[in-house]
Amino acid sequence: MSDSAVLQPGLQQPGWQVDRFIVSMALVGLALLGGLIWLETAPFMVALFIVGTVLGMALYHGAFGFTAGWRNLVTKKSGAGMRAQLLLFGLSSLIMVPMLHSGQAGLVGAVAPVGTSLVVGSFIFGIGMQLGGGCGSGTLFTVGAGNIRMVVTLVFFIAGAVLGSIHLPWWLDQPGFDPVPLVSSFGVSGAIVVQFVGLGLIAWWVNRIERKAHGTIERDELLWKGQSHGVLRTLLSGRWPFTWAILILAAGNALTLAIGGAPWSITFAFNVWGAKALEVVGVNMSQFEFWTWDYPAMALKDSVLTNIPSVMNFGLLLGAMLAAGLANRFNEASRNRPEGRQFLAAVVGGLLLGYGARLGFGCNIGALFSGIASASLHAWVWFACAFSGSLIGIRLRPWFRLPN
Amino acid sequence: MERAYSRTRIVVVLSIILVLILVDHLNSPTFAFNSGQGNVETALSQRDETACAPCGAPCPSTRN
Repeated sequence: MSDSAVLQPGLQQPGWQVDRFIVSMALVGLALLGGLIWLETAPFMVALFIVGTVLGMALYHGAFGFTAGWRNLVTKKSGAGMRAQLLLFGLSSLIMVPMLHSGQAGLVGAVAPVGTSLVVGSFIFGIGMQLGGGCGSGTLFTVGAGNIRMVVTLVFFIAGAVLGSIHLPWWLDQPGFDPVPLVSSFGVSGAIVVQFVGLGLIAWWVNRIERKAHGTIERDELLWKGQSHGVLRTLLSGRWPFTWAILILAAGNALTLAIGGAPWSITFAFNVWGAKALEVVGVNMSQFEFWTWDYPAMALKDSVLTNIPSVMNFGLLLGAMLAAGLANRFNEASRNRPEGRQFLAAVVGGLLLGYGARLGFGCNIGALFSGIASASLHAWVWFACAFSGSLIGIRLRPWFRLPN
Repeated sequence: MERAYSRTRIVVVLSIILVLILVDHLNSPTFAFNSGQGNVETALSQRDETACAPCGAPCPSTRN
C-alpha cells in the first residue's frame, strides 16, 4: 500500500484510506493555477476558480450524474437521480430568478433562442450523453477522477464543439425565434410558480413509473445522512447524500451568478480550447462567422485565464481529482480499458455531445440547469429534446457493449 | 490494492496542461497589459450583453 495512507480519525471508525499522491498533485495544481490566476487576472476569478473546485468535489462525492439519473429511470425504473435533479432545478429557480430580476446591474441570465438549432442540438446531445457516458459536467468530473474512457469522450467533445461552432450560424438561420424569458409573461413569482408546476408534473410522472415497477418509491434524494461514516469523513471522502450535492450545486450556481455576472456554464470553454488548438496548427478561426461574434472573438484572442467557463472547468477538474484522491478511488473506473466498440462509443458520443451542445446553447449545466434557474423557455425545450435523444442513446448502448 | 495508474503519467499530463495554459497566457493581451504594454484590449470581463445566448450568438430576429 505504497500510495495510500491509513488515517484513523476516530476509534469507532474503520481505517480511512487516502491516495496521498493524487491528493498532493491536486493540491499542488490548485495552488499553482490559483496563484497564477491571482497574479494575472483578478480576485473574482480566483473566487470562481474555488467555486469550480467545490462544484467538482460535489459532483464527484454526490455522484451527481445527469446521464445515469436519466438512464436509471428508463432501464431500472428508479427515479431518485431524476428527482434529485428536479429538486436542484427548483431550489436554484427559487434563488436565482429573483436575483436576476433584483435590478442589480451586470447580471445576465442563461437565456437563448428557441428554434431548429436548439431542438436538433439538444436531441443530438441526448444521444451523445448515453454513448459518451456523461454530459458536460459528468464528462469533466469523471476525467478529473482519472477515467480514461471519459478522456476520449472529452477530446471528441471538444472536436464536436468546434465543428458545431462553425455550423451554428447556418442553424441559426433556420426557423426559430428570440429568447423567451418566462418572467416577461408571468412576472418573477409567476415564473417560479409555473416552473414549479412543470417540475412537479415531471416528478409525478417519475414517481408513477417507479411505483408501477417497484410498488414503492425510494426517497434516496431526501436522505440527509451518509450511510456509514461520520459527517466530516463523509464530507471529505464521500459518498454524499443527494441533498448535500443539491445544496452545494445550487449555492455554487448562485455564487457563480453573483461573482461572475452569469450562471454556471461549461461547454463554451471546450469551444475556446478547441479553436485555440486549431489556431496553433495554422487554422484561421476568424474565417468562421461564430468566431467573429464579440464574445467568442474576445475569448479566443485573450488568455484562457480570463475566460470564466475555462477557469471554472480547471477548478472542477482539480476538485474532482482531489475528491477521488480523498476517496482513494482515482482512476478506479479505468481498470478495464475501453476497447473496440466501447472506444467507438466514446468517440461518437463525444462528437455528438460537442456538436449538440453548441447547437443547443449548452449542456445539462449551461442550458438545462442554468436555463431553468434563469426561467428561460429554451431550457424546457432542451430538457424534452435531450431526454428524447437519450432514449435513443440508451437503445444504442448494448450495440456498443455498454451496460444498461 | 494495486494502483490503477502511473504516477509518472499523472505528473506528465498535469505538467503539459500547465505549460499549455502558461504558453497561452504569455501570448495573450492580458499578459501584455500586465507587463506594462499600453494600447492592448484585454477581456477580463468578457461579456456581450447584446448577445442572445451565453455563447455570444445573435438573436434570430437580427439575422437576414
